[in-house]
Formats: sequence, structure tokens, C-alpha cells
Amino acid sequence: MSEKKGLLSAGLSIVLRNKRYIAWFFVLNLLLGLFGTFAFVNQAGAVLDRSLLSDRLVHGFSLGALIEMFARPEFGPTIASRGPAMFFGLLFLGATALFLPGVFQGYASTYRLPREDFFRACGRNLWRYIRLLIVAGIVMGFTAGVLFGIQGALATKAGESTNELLAPEVQLGGLGVIFLIMTAFRIWFDLAEADVVLNDQRAVRKSIGAGLKHTLQSLFRLMASYVVATLVAAMILLGGLWAWMKFVAPENLAGAFLMAQLTLLLLLIPRFWQRGVAVAYWKQKMVVPVLTAGPMTTTTIMPSRIESISVPVSAVAESAHPIPDPPSEPQGF
Amino acid sequence: MQIRWKIVAIVVVAAVGLATFVSRKTAAAGVAQAATPEVKSPLLADDARSGVPAISEELSIPATTSAINSSTPMSQRVVHYEIDAKYDPGTHTVDATETLTYHNLTGQALDHFPLHLYQNAFQPKSTFVRESKLEGSRDTTYDKWEEKEYGSENIKSLEVVGQGDLTGQLQFIAPDDGNKDDKTVADLRIPKPVAPGGFVQFKIAFQTKFPETQARSGWKRDFVLGGQWFPKIGVWWNGAWNCHQYHATTEFFADFGVYDVKLSMPQNEVVGASGVLVEEKSNPDNTKTYSYHGDDIHDFAWTASPRYKVRESEYQSQMGPIKLRFLMQPAHWSQAERHDRITRNSIDRFEKWYGPYPYKTLTVVDPEPGSAAGGMEYPTFITGESSWFMPEGLYGVENVVEHEFGHQYWYGMVATNEFEDAWMDEGINSYTEVKVLDSILGSNTSIMNLVGANLNEHDEQRLMYVLGASDRDPMAQKAYDYYSFGSYGGVTYGKTASVLLTLEGIIGEDTMAKAMRTYFMKYRFTHPTKEDFLKTIEEVSGKDLRWYFNQAVYGSKVMDYEVLQVESFPVNWYEDKKKDAKTSDTVYQTYVALHRKDDFIMPVEVEIKFDNGEKIREHWDGQSRWTRFSYQKKAKVVSAEIDPDHTVQIDRNNFNNSRTAEPNAKAAHKLSNYWLFVTQVFSQALGWWAV
Repeated sequence: MSEKKGLLSAGLSIVLRNKRYIAWFFVLNLLLGLFGTFAFVNQAGAVLDRSLLSDRLVHGFSLGALIEMFARPEFGPTIASRGPAMFFGLLFLGATALFLPGVFQGYASTYRLPREDFFRACGRNLWRYIRLLIVAGIVMGFTAGVLFGIQGALATKAGESTNELLAPEVQLGGLGVIFLIMTAFRIWFDLAEADVVLNDQRAVRKSIGAGLKHTLQSLFRLMASYVVATLVAAMILLGGLWAWMKFVAPENLAGAFLMAQLTLLLLLIPRFWQRGVAVAYWKQKMVVPVLTAGPMTTTTIMPSRIESISVPVSAVAESAHPIPDPPSEPQGF
Repeated sequence: MQIRWKIVAIVVVAAVGLATFVSRKTAAAGVAQAATPEVKSPLLADDARSGVPAISEELSIPATTSAINSSTPMSQRVVHYEIDAKYDPGTHTVDATETLTYHNLTGQALDHFPLHLYQNAFQPKSTFVRESKLEGSRDTTYDKWEEKEYGSENIKSLEVVGQGDLTGQLQFIAPDDGNKDDKTVADLRIPKPVAPGGFVQFKIAFQTKFPETQARSGWKRDFVLGGQWFPKIGVWWNGAWNCHQYHATTEFFADFGVYDVKLSMPQNEVVGASGVLVEEKSNPDNTKTYSYHGDDIHDFAWTASPRYKVRESEYQSQMGPIKLRFLMQPAHWSQAERHDRITRNSIDRFEKWYGPYPYKTLTVVDPEPGSAAGGMEYPTFITGESSWFMPEGLYGVENVVEHEFGHQYWYGMVATNEFEDAWMDEGINSYTEVKVLDSILGSNTSIMNLVGANLNEHDEQRLMYVLGASDRDPMAQKAYDYYSFGSYGGVTYGKTASVLLTLEGIIGEDTMAKAMRTYFMKYRFTHPTKEDFLKTIEEVSGKDLRWYFNQAVYGSKVMDYEVLQVESFPVNWYEDKKKDAKTSDTVYQTYVALHRKDDFIMPVEVEIKFDNGEKIREHWDGQSRWTRFSYQKKAKVVSAEIDPDHTVQIDRNNFNNSRTAEPNAKAAHKLSNYWLFVTQVFSQALGWWAV
């Protein structure tokens, strides 16, 4: 890959070459979401299904009717629907962690990665990813906690000002700073995740170290790519919601479902784009040169005459866990 | 006929005799006062022999009208407050002198006078704080006591003109709960009673220290709202003094009169107050003195902040021009027009529907953000509430400003007892809020019309009632006797509005409007009771509504009607199962059962729809626990709905008021789609940051 090629475009072309991963993650996201919603359907149905009042929710969105629905004992406790939603949300997180090594492997591959290689990568890196996630969770969680604490304290202090706008400005500015810092952390651990898989790095700490080193080395370049992808995500979300409100009639359930799912499908792209950027960067900068032994020239050593032994060594730049050769018949995950 | 004339004659003779007797006594007292040189006070005098008090002719309550669009006073003026106050923003204190002239219109001699000292409520052992900790309050939780929450109102000296310094005679009393640590009411017993029709004048020096805003009074940053800040006399009502302690849930009650108030404060302050500004004078000590005058009002509030931006406009009311003044936070300046617009629209609706607004001014204050000063009413002076983020379509500004303006009618002019009948100011005002905002902002969108979602006033008031402790307290209850602050709010505001909206359905919307106007015009500038209001409605409607008032106003009964059963099956169901399939000749037996789940009994309509488009309306008196209607038709039932015109606002569960024969999951699926979307976004966001 040409180093001159921009990270964003390189990342995007990787993603576009591997659209199937986004499709599969979308299906996974939808299925788990549906599982998480079943309880809500039953709860809402218990109140709404036989009442004419529910019409106020079909042909519009009456908050009064909605609030009353939540308050009805028949609806039950809201935790009954929030609980499954949280659970399946976490399950999606776990599934993402499980399948991400395969995605990285596929992204680094120059051909369509066979299914067994995809799952092999997932299996081989499972325990490494668990360790990596624990470290990332601790580091990012702690940092986010501290940053939000500082932001809260600053906003509280700003709230004492006679300038009413100062507090929201501090809050928004603080959120911006937190976003940038956390994005830097995300870059760090994305690079580490890529490195673990693509360098077949058993020592996760080395990938974490490499990720940190390269994040600091190329912070602005990587940050710019990640921020652009995030802005695209924000535009997709806002645009999707706007189109939903603008073009879908309140009573059009199928239209609403399709619009929502289209938005969610598109919303997956920016994050995969960021991972594509990480892989592109890894290929450009982080690939570890491996010393490969060439053919050895041997000479019989006569005790009386010792001649020089030359062992020519050629350095070949390739990944420690080489990107697999293409199979005879393309098949992929 | 003869008997009637005899009664008339007896009454006339008795009246003449009584008048002669009273005039003799009065004359005798006057003579006694004039002939008794040691009685120095021109205000009070007892006849040494008879004990009958004298009437002063030297004091009076001014008959000024410069603050109203009327050439004559509009109220029976009982008090005249002349206050000269200096506010120190550094210490948040007011040092003032107050001359209070009181006209004894009670019909009997008065020998003691209770005074409200409201700011003493903000002390850790007060009844207000004690109740707030137990039952909750509007704004402060009192998790711990902080010095900034401390407020006080100290009378430094009190002289009764003609009777000398009686500061030592002041005694704190706690007529409601006996709390000896509560100092919100002080009683002054005077040695010489004030005769009926006489005047008494108090000269009081006091200091008020404001707390950081609580209960819509006090300071926040460099802002201050001076509400309930001066010693204020109680009201002689229903044959006794009515002067309650300040409670966590209570507001106020006072007599009409004239206010002349001078406020001195640093020159950089922008000031607003009740009444008309008559003079603005700079002082050598870098302060300014603002002189205000108010006619036919029963309280006086003011505010100051160096950062207010002022918008002024004029509204031509039915009685004359009103000067509208908006004191806006700088960050809300773009909302000044919204404040102006809703104020004008509110005046317009109130004047059309209920009666004229007679005052020459109205000051609308946009108080300091984060303060507990928002949403408060004082005569000709209200506080709204807003935020830097208040998009069009979210009518928070409009709701608060309209509500507080409504209090100019229900509290300001119809001055009910807010301690004892809070529903008569807050509740009636919430009812008119629904009507006025429906008219201005639309009946479905009067609170919110944003991103495809809507919320209206009907729903808000009803939900406040049914989601609160709806069965714990009746409306007709003293405000400080409610179980909790939540119960007070739910019943006083939400239930009252819902009960009156339901009443519209019983007597008709036009009749209700006529009754409201009659009530306002009849009782403005007085202190009506709950029966005055209820009887006015009965008189105007010509209906005996006691069955309703006894349950809804005086009782705490709860209404919940439900459609229990909606079912059709072929009459000849036993003949051939294949005939279950509907044909045009199939006759169906239909049953519709209604159930009264709770104890509130009310006649209702029910509408039954059939699949041939036919609709039948039935009437049920609700006396029994349930009833069943049956039909034989060549059509199957589709649905049944209680209260199909949606006039009943007090039913605690609107979902079970109707039932369809077949379930329809469209609404549940629509909401589920939203929930699915939220769930998926949540899981994607989790995946974004965590892995």
C-alpha cells in the first residue's frame, strides 16, 4: 500500500472491499435488538392493543398517552424492558469483540478472506482481546471518569458566574475536549487491536505499547481521520432522523422500520471506516520486519583449513503472522 | 299577605331603632373623645364609662386611582402601606420603615393584630422547613442546613400611633401547629381597641434578610426578588383574624389597599416592582430611590439586577392602556418577543372571557437562571421562567407566563384565601390556563409541538392528578393539611383543572364560561369562599350539582370506569360450525359490559360501534358496579367506548375506557420500533467506544 495514499481513503477502500462485515454486523445488531425489544412489545401491547386511545400514538405521538401508558400497572416496571435492551446491547458488544479479530484479518487481506481463516483469527485472538479489552476498559474508563469529573467541576464553577451561557459553553467545550481525548485513546487501542491480530502478537502488552507509540507519533493524522468519520456518523444519525420525521407518515410502520434500519446500517459504516483506517495505518507503519533465512551456503570445514562461512540473510518486510495466501477457491465469511 | 307585611314592618322598626341606637353611641363616643384631654391619640379612644370605642376622622386610606384605569377605587380598601426601604446587595438585607394604616371594617372593636413575618420561615426550626423536610417542597430539599438558606424578618421597633412603642408587646404565635420555634406570625395586643369603622396606624422599623432564593423570594448571584419581605397584617375574614403561619405548601392572603413604596439601591441596579413608578431620584451616596404607587392591590413585590435587559410595550385593554415591562436575562433576550406575545394574547383572552384587567402596568420578570424565583405571581408583577435553550415548539415560556398572568385574576383580583383554599387560585387558574393556552397554541399542542411529538394542557393537568396521590386528599382542604407536597400539587392544580373541565361536559362549555365570568365580575376585589364559587356555577347553570361537588370537591373519591367486555357471536352458534363464517344474514348476539372500578359515581355515555358502520349511544348512571348491554344484529361489534366525546377528565385510566373486539397491535409495534432503534443505537454506541 502506498504510504502516500491518505488514511481516510485507504480505510474507506478497505471497508468498501469488505462490505459483507458491515452487513453481518448489521444483521447481528438487528437480531439482538429484536431480542431486546420483545419484552417491550408485550408490555406495551398489554395496555395498547385493545384500547382506542392507542390511536393517539398511531396517528401522531402523544406524549400524554405515552406517559400514561408507562404509568399503568399493566405495563409493568420499566426495568422489564430496559433490562433486556441493556443485556442484548452488551451481548452485541461481546459479539463485536469476538468477531473483530476476523474483521481485522479480513481488512488486512488482499483477497476475500476464507471463512475458516476468519473464525481462526477470531478464535486465536479471543483471549488476547479479552485482555486487551480489560486494559482498554480500565484505562479509558478511568480517564473518562476523571475527565467527566473535571468537566462537571468546571461547569459547576462556571454556573456560579453571572454569565448564564458560560456553564453550557464549558459543558459543551468540555465534551469536545473529552471526545478528542477519548478518540485518541480509541485510536491507541484500535491500533493495538490491529497489531495483536496482524502481528499475531501473543504479548498483548507489546501491541499496547506499539499502539501508544504510533498514536503519539501520528496523532494528528490519525485523529483527523477518526474525527471525520465521527462527523460522518453524526450526519448520518441526524440526517436519518430528519428524513424519518420528514418523509415517513406517523402511521406508516413499515416505512419507519425501514428508515430506522437504513440509518442504523449506515451508522455502522463510520466505525468500520475507523478500523479500516487503523489497518491502513498498520500496513503503512506498524508492520514488523521479519528476518527470513535465505539458502545457507555450507562448506566442509577441514581441520586444516578453516574457511569463512557466509550466511546470507535477507530482510523481508512482512507481517510476523503473514497475511494468508489466497485459497485455491475463493470463499469467504 | 298580612303576615308578610307584619314581618316587613317589624324589620323596618327594628332597623330604625338599631340605627338610632348606634348613632347615639357613636356621637357619645365622639363627644367623650373630644372632651377627654388625656386621650392623645386621634385614632383610638374608649368611652371611659361604656367602653365603646371611638371612630377616628383624621386618618383614611387614600382614594387614589393613578395606578388603575378607573376614576374610582375598585376595592374596599382596608390597608395603606407606606414603606421606605433600602436594599444592600452585599448583605442581601433590606432596612426599612413601614407605616401601616388599617381601616377597621370588621364591625367590631379590635384589640389585637396579627402580622405575617414570612421571611422568618427560612430558619431551621421553622414550620416551613420542618414540613419541607417531611413532605417535600417546591425547590429546596434541606438535606443539610446552609447559612445561605437563612432568612429573617426582624421588627426593630413598632409604635402604634397614639398608644406609644409597643415593640415589647409583640408575641410570636403559631396558630396552625403550635410550633414555638416558628416566627412567621407575630401578634400585637394593643391596650386601646380600635373602634368599628376606625383606623389604626402602625409605625414599624424592620430589617429583612433574604435567603438564597427559596419559595420564590430571595437572592441568587446579583439578582434579588423581594417577595413577602415586609411585615404584613392578617385578614379579618369570616368573623376572625386569618393569619396562618408560613407552610411549605402555602401561599398568601391579604387585604386590598394602597401601597406607596420607596426602594433605594445602588445606581447600577435595574429595578421592577408592583404598581406604577412615580419617581426616580438619584441620591448623593451613589444610590437611586424608586417610588412606586399601587392601587387596589394586596401585596407588593420588587426585583433588582444589574443585568436585566428591558423591553417595554403598551397594550390597549378594555379599560385603558397597560404599560408592559419585560425584565429579561441577557441570554434570553431573543425570547423577549415570545414573552411579550404570550402576555398580550393572555390579556386578550382573559378580558374577552372573564373581565377587564384594570391596572395600568404589568411587569414580567425573567428571573435569574437556576434560582427558585421562577413562576410566581404578585399583583401587577409576575415572574416567568426560561432557559438559554428554549426552541420554538417547546412552550415553557408561554406556559409559565400565561399561568402567572392568570393569577392576576385568580388571586390578584379574586383574592381567595391561598392558605385554606389553594385550589381556588391555583386550580381555577390551571383550568383557565388550559382554556387560554388551547386557544392560543392549539388544543393538542399547547405545551409542546416538537419533532413530531405533542403534549397538551389537558393531558398535563390530568396526569398531574392521576399520577399523583389522587385519592389522598380532597380539593376543599387547607393547603398545609395535604399529605405531601406531591398530593398538594396533584390535587390543587391538576385535579381542580380536571374537575372543572369535566364540569364543562356536565353543564356545557358555554354555560361554564358564563359562570366563570359571572364569578369573576361578582367577586373581584373580594375574598370569596369555596361556596361562593360553587353556588355561582349552580346558579348560572340552573342545576343542582351537589352530587358532583360532594365527590369531586369535598371528597377524595376516584373515578375509573372500564369497558369490561365486548363480544359478539352468532345467535345460532350451535347449528353448524361452518356457519361461523360471517354472511350478510348471520345474526349476532352482542354483549358490552361496563364496570365502575372505583368509588366515584357519575353518569356516562358509551358508544358501541358495529362492523356495518352503525353506532349506538347508551347512557349509564353508574350507580351499580357494572352494567351490560346486549344486542341482536346482523353485525358484529367492533368497539365500545365510554365517554366518546372525551369530556371526562378525571378518570384515572383512559386506556380502559374503550375496548376493541379484536386486538390491534399497531401502536405497540410503532413504539417497539422506536425502542428497537434506541436499543440498536445504544449497542452501536457501546461498540463504538468499548471495542
